Amino acid sequence: MLITDEVRSYIGLSSEADFACDAVEAGAVRRFAQAIMDEDPAYLGETNDANRRFGGPVAPPLFANHMVRRPLGTPDPVQNNALNPLFDGIVPVASLPGIKPLSHLASLNGGSEFEFFRYARHGERVSLKLSYADITEKESSKGPMVLVVRQYEFRTDGGELLMRARMTTIRR
Amino acid sequence: MAEQLYFDDVRPGQELPRLTKGPLGEIHLFRWSAAMENWHRIHYDRRFAQEQDKLPDLLVNGSLKQQFITQIVKDWAGRDGWVWKVGFQFRAMNTVGDTLHVWGKVKSTERLQDYGLVVVELGIVNQDGKENTPGQATVALPFRGGQPVPYPFVPPPGTQAAA
Repeated sequence: MLITDEVRSYIGLSSEADFACDAVEAGAVRRFAQAIMDEDPAYLGETNDANRRFGGPVAPPLFANHMVRRPLGTPDPVQNNALNPLFDGIVPVASLPGIKPLSHLASLNGGSEFEFFRYARHGERVSLKLSYADITEKESSKGPMVLVVRQYEFRTDGGELLMRARMTTIRR
Repeated sequence: MAEQLYFDDVRPGQELPRLTKGPLGEIHLFRWSAAMENWHRIHYDRRFAQEQDKLPDLLVNGSLKQQFITQIVKDWAGRDGWVWKVGFQFRAMNTVGDTLHVWGKVKSTERLQDYGLVVVELGIVNQDGKENTPGQATVALPFRGGQPVPYPFVPPPGTQAAA
């Protein structure tokens, strides 16, 4: 058995709800929409027929998922690794404590699920709260494996739920 | 965006209009990395990707592919519909130069009191027809002559509420 009481104790462990350092900005929305090649008029910085039902200009559905960035005044990992040729460029911005008893196991992406409730509007601030939603063990053809499900919950500064994401990681 | 789609007009087996992205070149990948401030070098530094991480070439970001998966159902649902859920798995890599075709097909429908729910199978194939991102979405559609799907979205009774 890979799952012990200590591993189970991580279920429900959550982070504080932290706000992204910037609100939803029209320029950031434009760059995002152009990069995903979805130039939906609902994303324009003005109220129009495409976004009136949503209360005005909105961001693409998954925009909030990419809003947590490194705030000003925090250590700069790019500069700190300027002379490190092995630095892969990954800059963690939001995370949960690692599950220590599983630290020796490889980690694979097991899939993502998003649940949408409303769009983030231009000017709104967005918070993110992470938690371990579930940890289960399964038997596979290659032996036992653990499925770790992390939940990401995105809310506005008014407390309204925008989106939930559930990311599954396979550990074996 | 196309004319509003209604639940009344949807049948199992119906295909969504395909969404094609690409061919995705180096600048597409760099533009996406810059837009979301993701500096992972395997998406724009070919030497690092090939020599350090032993990859065949620059990788198309999974985070970019999930935007395409979401867009196909968002556009299909129209302004008065709503994409409730999208789920997928990244089963294979895509490399720079790939053209991605996003597809969807109606799996099942369920008529509720205020709107209809449609389960859509979806995925992304490359220019060779190889599937790399199979998934599923649940879309809420209005009834013809009825009200738009409630916004903010209210999940059906019996499911986890947006509390």
